[in-house]
Amino acid sequence: MSEMSLSRDRFLALAEAYGGDIARWPEPEREAARALLLQDPQGLGHHLEAAAALDRLLDLAPAGAVDAALLGRLVSAAPRPAASAWRWIAGLGAALGLGVSAMAGVTVGVVLAGHDREDLSADALIASSVDGGDATDSLEEPAAS
Amino acid sequence: MTSQGSDPDEALLADVGRGDPRAVRQLLDRRLPRILALARRMLNDSGEAEDVAQETFLRAWKQARSWQPGAARFDTWLHRVALNLCRDRLRRRRDVVMAEPPEQADPGPRPDAGVLGREVSHRVEAALAALPARQREAIVLCHHQGLGNIEAAALMQVSVEALEGLLGRGRRALKAALADLTRDAG
Repeated sequence: MSEMSLSRDRFLALAEAYGGDIARWPEPEREAARALLLQDPQGLGHHLEAAAALDRLLDLAPAGAVDAALLGRLVSAAPRPAASAWRWIAGLGAALGLGVSAMAGVTVGVVLAGHDREDLSADALIASSVDGGDATDSLEEPAAS
Repeated sequence: MTSQGSDPDEALLADVGRGDPRAVRQLLDRRLPRILALARRMLNDSGEAEDVAQETFLRAWKQARSWQPGAARFDTWLHRVALNLCRDRLRRRRDVVMAEPPEQADPGPRPDAGVLGREVSHRVEAALAALPARQREAIVLCHHQGLGNIEAAALMQVSVEALEGLLGRGRRALKAALADLTRDAG
């Protein structure tokens, strides 16, 4: 790009579009622009200064300040550490384990009781198992927290 | 003005996705003021600008875990989301049928023109707000946000030549509206 030449019109168009700081112009044209400026520092410099004056005014357009409440809302809505997911999974696993144990306990109890009650029906066995399931639900919450 | 480069936010964003609270604060410190400024200058309304900035980052949090490096720079993605939200709001404003024209600050010179500080700032803000939306968008992206011409043109879905046209027309209009101040500033 170093051999690239730039017309005076293009120089002025660039100043009008991108402002008075050549460093903010499209990179491929900067070097040629600086070379052209050296040839006519007064004439082109005047245009650059006029563009820079507008740049300085544009910099005064309010940008707004970050409000602490906005920052707080965004921080609290941000993703949580993945470790909490593992804790939840571990808690669920523990709860399931307890549930299985409870169901096994209920089943054993029912079978042992069956020695005394020959007419134990399948419905009664299922009902006992469901009771065990409810017990695991109550265990799940503290384990997951 | 043209460099795309690697994404300076990539590692930070990965930490955000893992739920690192320090990364969240660092990313917000780095990018939130920038996005808020974009929305503020596009909408000329601090409340709406906050809403846009908030929505932009809420969407970013959803993306953080599944962010694909290399697809787009995170800063560019943020700009795209925020710009679309701004455009939606500007469109809704236009769609609202008003009995009276909206009240706008007078961009013209005032008897005490030349004073610095807040008044000049308001004059510039009003002149910027009075520009056609596409010209304002081009100026905010290139001048205020410091985006390269290729990146800005891509965000606006126009050619670089068209972007330069928008910039040139916008700056000429601003120069005319703020002529008394540019003389002072020069």
